[in-house]
Amino acid sequence: MNTSVSRSTIRSPRRADRTETQRHVSKKRLATKVTIAGGALYIAYDSGLLGSSEQGSEALNRAKAAIPPAVEEWMKYFGLETPLPTMPKVEFSPVQAWNSGVRRSISSLSEAPTKATQYTNQGLQYLKDLTK
Amino acid sequence: MSEKELGKKWDRCLADGAIKFGTGLGLGIVFSVLFFKRHTWPISLCSGAGLGMAFSNCQNDLRSSYLLHRSQKEQ
Repeated sequence: MNTSVSRSTIRSPRRADRTETQRHVSKKRLATKVTIAGGALYIAYDSGLLGSSEQGSEALNRAKAAIPPAVEEWMKYFGLETPLPTMPKVEFSPVQAWNSGVRRSISSLSEAPTKATQYTNQGLQYLKDLTK
Repeated sequence: MSEKELGKKWDRCLADGAIKFGTGLGLGIVFSVLFFKRHTWPISLCSGAGLGMAFSNCQNDLRSSYLLHRSQKEQ
């Protein structure tokens, strides 16, 4: 006698086989899921996350301002009184560094031919002086 | 459009892109967990849609200086 149960014989109960209670529970579950998903969508829309670029950058600034106090609160809640190592304030602006880098490289490229001729002439002069 | 203004527009574009990608990711995770049995495709779809919305906003923002607005036309 074959007692093994193959995967194909295991089926979820058909709608007609489900009891009234099971159908009620599944409807409640669906309603809860729809409420949660709808709420998430509404929160995203209401806080301006799905709007124009001005609203988006405003939301980002608000989030940046709200994160440090929230982190501090959570730390206190969990009893971790030691403060997180703060980022050392570096007087370095990546934008300024990039801009100055671009300016310097372009100016050196523009001066390169003149400087190359100059150095070649100097080198030749040096060699001539050596052979004298 | 001055260079400073253009720079600000690009900054806004990048910030908006980050926000919309994150929102799409979050909503995608919510939908995936609730309705789609934790598959990956709703997450990719929603994040992609968020990036697309950010791109469209950016495009309109950058083109706005070349368009004649209705208020100017009426004048």
